[in-house]
Amino acid sequence: MDLSYQEKSVLGSLLAMVVVYGYYFAAVLRDAGRPEFDGGNVGRLIFAVIAIIVIEIVYHVVLALESKPEPKDERDLQIECKAYRNAYFLLATGAFLVIGCVIMAGLARDAAPTRIIVTPFITVNLVLFFMVLAELMKFLTQLSYYRRGLR
Amino acid sequence: MIKGRIRNNIRRLRFEHSEMTQQQLAERVGVTRQTVIAIEQDKYSPSLEVAFRCALVFGVPLEQVFQYVWTDSESEGAA
Repeated sequence: MDLSYQEKSVLGSLLAMVVVYGYYFAAVLRDAGRPEFDGGNVGRLIFAVIAIIVIEIVYHVVLALESKPEPKDERDLQIECKAYRNAYFLLATGAFLVIGCVIMAGLARDAAPTRIIVTPFITVNLVLFFMVLAELMKFLTQLSYYRRGLR
Repeated sequence: MIKGRIRNNIRRLRFEHSEMTQQQLAERVGVTRQTVIAIEQDKYSPSLEVAFRCALVFGVPLEQVFQYVWTDSESEGAA
């Protein structure tokens, strides 16, 4: 498959996000019952952020050495715009869901299931989850338009 | 509304111009080779500016490079 520099860049970022945040959210699911962050959770979050930055830098250095970097042209920018639009809708939906959960929990304080949902630990991770999901949506939309074409 | 598709003769024009490669055309027009491939396969309609640059590279009027082909049956009937 003949991939452009931009496609390779997007594909690498997508894989890095899936691997690093896959590991992070698997650990979050194990600790879902905890009400607050502890050192381990915060450490994993910091590790995930640093790991993404390091992987992205190393991958793009290798990519630049292996294939000639190309600046984005008008097609790349159009595809990026469409990808950001999809990612924005997903992020906005996630933000409204989290806000809805917090409000519902405030209205029904005695309802055990809602009380579990709005622990700071879960709220922060839900927000982070939708941010990661939005980023993945951006990458997947870009790859889809690169393959399908813009018409 | 008139419905149609933008078609192009870039592949033919490249061969008529000393078998210009997609990379050479891309460099002269200021886009990536993948964008030239997408245009040739009718997967991307370029901006007016890129379309004019293609015409300039081949030294022909714009309508010899790109054509708007009606696909709407009502419009075809009106034409």
